[in-house]
Amino acid sequence: MKSVVIDPITRLEGHGKIHLFVEDDGTLANCYFQIPELRGFEKFCQGRPVEELARITTRICGVCPDAHHMASAKAADAVYGVTIPSAARKLRELMYNAFYAGDHTTHFFALGGPDFVCGPDAPKAERNILGVIAKVGVDAGKKVIAQRARGQRIIEIIGGKKVHPVTSVPGGLTKRISKAEQEEMIQIGREMVEFGQFTIQVLNDIVLANQAYVDLILSDTYAHRTYNMGLVDENNKVTFYDGRVRVTDPNGKEHALYEPKDYLDYVAEHVEPYSYLKYPFLKKVGWKGFVDGVDSGVYKASPLSRLNVSDGMATPLAQAEYERFYETLTGDRTGQTPVHSTLATHWARVVELMFACEATCQQAQDDELTSEEILNPPDGIVGEGVGIVEAPRGTLTHHYKTDQNGIVTEANLIVGTTNNNAPITMSIKKAAEGLITKGSEITDGVLNRIEMAFRAYDPCFGCATHTLPGGMPLELIIHDADTGEIVKTVNRNR
Amino acid sequence: MIAPVLVLCLGNEVLTDDRVGVVIADHLRQRWGNLDELEIAFAALAGFRLLELMRDRRRILIVDSICTCNGVPGEIHFFELGVLTPSKNLTTSHQISLPVAVELGKQLGMNICEQIDVLAIEAGDIETLSETLTPQVAAAVPAALKRIDDWIRTQLEVRKHVGKRRLANARP
Repeated sequence: MKSVVIDPITRLEGHGKIHLFVEDDGTLANCYFQIPELRGFEKFCQGRPVEELARITTRICGVCPDAHHMASAKAADAVYGVTIPSAARKLRELMYNAFYAGDHTTHFFALGGPDFVCGPDAPKAERNILGVIAKVGVDAGKKVIAQRARGQRIIEIIGGKKVHPVTSVPGGLTKRISKAEQEEMIQIGREMVEFGQFTIQVLNDIVLANQAYVDLILSDTYAHRTYNMGLVDENNKVTFYDGRVRVTDPNGKEHALYEPKDYLDYVAEHVEPYSYLKYPFLKKVGWKGFVDGVDSGVYKASPLSRLNVSDGMATPLAQAEYERFYETLTGDRTGQTPVHSTLATHWARVVELMFACEATCQQAQDDELTSEEILNPPDGIVGEGVGIVEAPRGTLTHHYKTDQNGIVTEANLIVGTTNNNAPITMSIKKAAEGLITKGSEITDGVLNRIEMAFRAYDPCFGCATHTLPGGMPLELIIHDADTGEIVKTVNRNR
Repeated sequence: MIAPVLVLCLGNEVLTDDRVGVVIADHLRQRWGNLDELEIAFAALAGFRLLELMRDRRRILIVDSICTCNGVPGEIHFFELGVLTPSKNLTTSHQISLPVAVELGKQLGMNICEQIDVLAIEAGDIETLSETLTPQVAAAVPAALKRIDDWIRTQLEVRKHVGKRRLANARP
């Protein structure tokens, strides 16, 4: 038996790995997935004023600090038992949607794009963001860069700084916005909507027009019938900033709808000896191992999950795309029949991108944004609070307990990728089982198709260390599993 | 107005030696104050998110920690960003390295200056959650600051001469 290791090597110890154990005849025996994380951060939070955590927890991730900032701010509001003013809530939500519009753009064009725009079997040298630009044109690339800049400008206006938002404090925000700034955000919102439509066009022209890609998306190799999780608003529409957590079963039936503060009644964590990262599962269903189905507590929390748990999108263009998504993939445009194809996550992300752009445009026009009532200073303390937002990579939970002075005594963080730890493992295994068969050769194309199984989740590796050059290389090692001897090494970083 | 000269310090304030960027940024701000020609920035960010900070500059110096194969903690490296050539084949958003982001920015026509210099300090510990540098890296900070001060002086001097020349050329 051979062991194949797909190994994102970093300068950090404890980096992520994919182990594929392959029998002598070429069939897959087993699969293990390990993701690094920033261990000890919860302990590090203890002894600090809870209001500082909105700025400290952003250091967990250099890619999506905004999500941690927002979840932390909401948890701190709850710790002080304060309801933030309506204008502050609207400003925070606007900033968060603008962040989403930029983040989803990056993923679709830089990560998902190479697989579908260039093709999963394109030469490795072309299957990257620069290959995407070569295919869709430099002008399209410029639009991508401009879109990201738009999102950052709104973060700068509301969050106070372009790079790290600092204005959220318990009770609301510390910075008002001017009429001129609102006008600028309205213009940005309009441009974002145009970009969202452009992205849908790219998806249509390059991905959906190619039947081979549609077949790949719908392939059983990339399908898992698990529970789904995501935030929904009062109408059960997708929302990112605030709402209740909805969980649906593999058939689309509602399993739970709960307030963020009650998450521990619904979610528990399983531990495997080979990984530091835990495996969250649905408490009331139970952990039954890495298996699909209604009886298994494994759930997904991803763009696809958010669509699956919702009754639709709250904006018109996104709703139209939502209906087309479900009609194409299930034949039921209402979305009541869930999609279980992991690769459809890329399309779901585009639906969400459209929503984020439209929501930014709509919310920027709200007259209340320039209100002076943006802070409701706390006058007491509850001592415990939970903040949940939808990070682009899944439901993000910050849970703090404090003493009467607001000093943190306990912290629990469940980050987006952690939710998906079990389904990612299952997706890789299933893809590998479908692709590594008796007598088959493990080519670069095969390895890429296995990577595609987890790339769709855009897992967040332990990225808190930013030493040069940044980034997260990938290496694949094939072992003989009986002897442990390395048979082949494929460095995915060159 | 965007300052033409940027010293961009990177890192993570809560990860031992990875915080050297913010330590140096704090020192530099005290030394150089506010100048129209110079911006000293700190960012705990990665990938594309750094591009927007870097556009439309004349010269950029990146300051960060680094781990090389045989490096000695506290050792100071000075090189051009172009010597780092990591993968363009990405698996997650977290793989978009700074050199890839810069290359992409240039290909897309963003105004990114041709030469980006890097001052990197060899780290001893980038895993432990701590707001204190290891002694070796702390000891390297004064020498790093001197090197950066020299770099800034050179850039501002060049800028002054360019300004004078433009002024002279503008005369009838």
